[in-house]
Amino acid sequence: MQSHPSYPILSPYLKKYPTSAASLFQTYNDITYAQEWKDITVVDLEDGGGFAEDFSYVFPCSLSEKFTFEQLQNAFSHLEIGQIFLAITSEDASIVYYKLSTGIVKPPV
Amino acid sequence: MSDEEAPIPLRVANKKAYVWDVEGGTLPHLSQQNVFLGLPLVLLPEETVLLVELGAAVLIDDPSAHDKPSSAQLEKWNEEQKESIKTQIALMETKNAKENSERVLSEEALRKRREREEKRRALAQAQAAEAAAQESSEASLFGGDAPTPAVTITGVGPSASAAAVNPQASSASVPYTITVAGPSSSLDWYTPNPHSHSTIESARAAGIWDYPSNLQERAQCGVFRGLWEQGNYLGVGIKFGGEYLVYPGDPLRYHSHFVATVIESPTTTLRPMEIVAHGRLGTATKKSHLLCGWDDEKKEVSYLSIEWAGFG
Repeated sequence: MQSHPSYPILSPYLKKYPTSAASLFQTYNDITYAQEWKDITVVDLEDGGGFAEDFSYVFPCSLSEKFTFEQLQNAFSHLEIGQIFLAITSEDASIVYYKLSTGIVKPPV
Repeated sequence: MSDEEAPIPLRVANKKAYVWDVEGGTLPHLSQQNVFLGLPLVLLPEETVLLVELGAAVLIDDPSAHDKPSSAQLEKWNEEQKESIKTQIALMETKNAKENSERVLSEEALRKRREREEKRRALAQAQAAEAAAQESSEASLFGGDAPTPAVTITGVGPSASAAAVNPQASSASVPYTITVAGPSSSLDWYTPNPHSHSTIESARAAGIWDYPSNLQERAQCGVFRGLWEQGNYLGVGIKFGGEYLVYPGDPLRYHSHFVATVIESPTTTLRPMEIVAHGRLGTATKKSHLLCGWDDEKKEVSYLSIEWAGFG
């Protein structure tokens, strides 16, 4: 892992959140190299900070993790946005993205 | 709801609420998945709670509303039954006689019947020749005294088999129907008013209703009401893997429908696999999935819509 180009960027977060490390690593690489998004930054929800409106947010999560409704809502209110992507990773490197939106939101036709 | 409309009576038996009255009609904003409604209609407990809370319905303790009938009431009921039976038999006999006379008039029909009977007799006699005594007595029934054509109708009227045995007797075997009224409101001894409850609490105190009784049930009531208040039409979601099927009420605002799942508290554990399962099911059934979180302390519902991202 240490020789991977993403490692220098991710290493502080991998150390701070060891249970989410694998998921974070996998998600970051998928977004960067497979989905080819631009201007990618890692945001630590605990540390706070201001964010630009036209960013998309991805919340990495492995299949073995658990969370509560409250935690999801906190993420929304903290970031002050209406939608986030949940990146669900598994040990065989499969990754699937779901869009979560607050409120009753119709999907585009 | 206008003042002229009385609350819909919901008849409660065994802690389930039934709609028996046609005048109650279909309940606005609460359509069922099965469009073909038949009486009695069983309501979801959440629907029942909502209707009573809105004052649109009252709960009737149905078993208690059936008083013991007085002897006068019983006599009257008995007389009415007898009248009904008499009328039915009279009608049936008139009908049979009319049909019989019509058949006799048709020569073609007569000729055909005779041919059929000839064939049957020949067949029966051939069988009787080889068979035991029992069969030969049956053959004699067919081939016996040539009764009048009106009575040898086999297998046509309800009195056919009786007539074959004894051609003379017919009215003794005419069947009649005993009608048991569906709704009890037609019975003289049914008195719903003293047993009517206009609040959930009063029904609970009377021991006839106990929903909601725990957090999960309170959450369901809360979510159901929350979705309904936004103008949605709600049905049972079992066909789509969720608790409720939500049809947004305003067709101009929404194109698609939702499947809703109730999350009973903000601290209930959710697993990512559930998100995947709900989301995938939604996509496959062309519906969106709605996670509805109930906060029992704030008595509030919050919504989270799940949709596949479309990439990855």
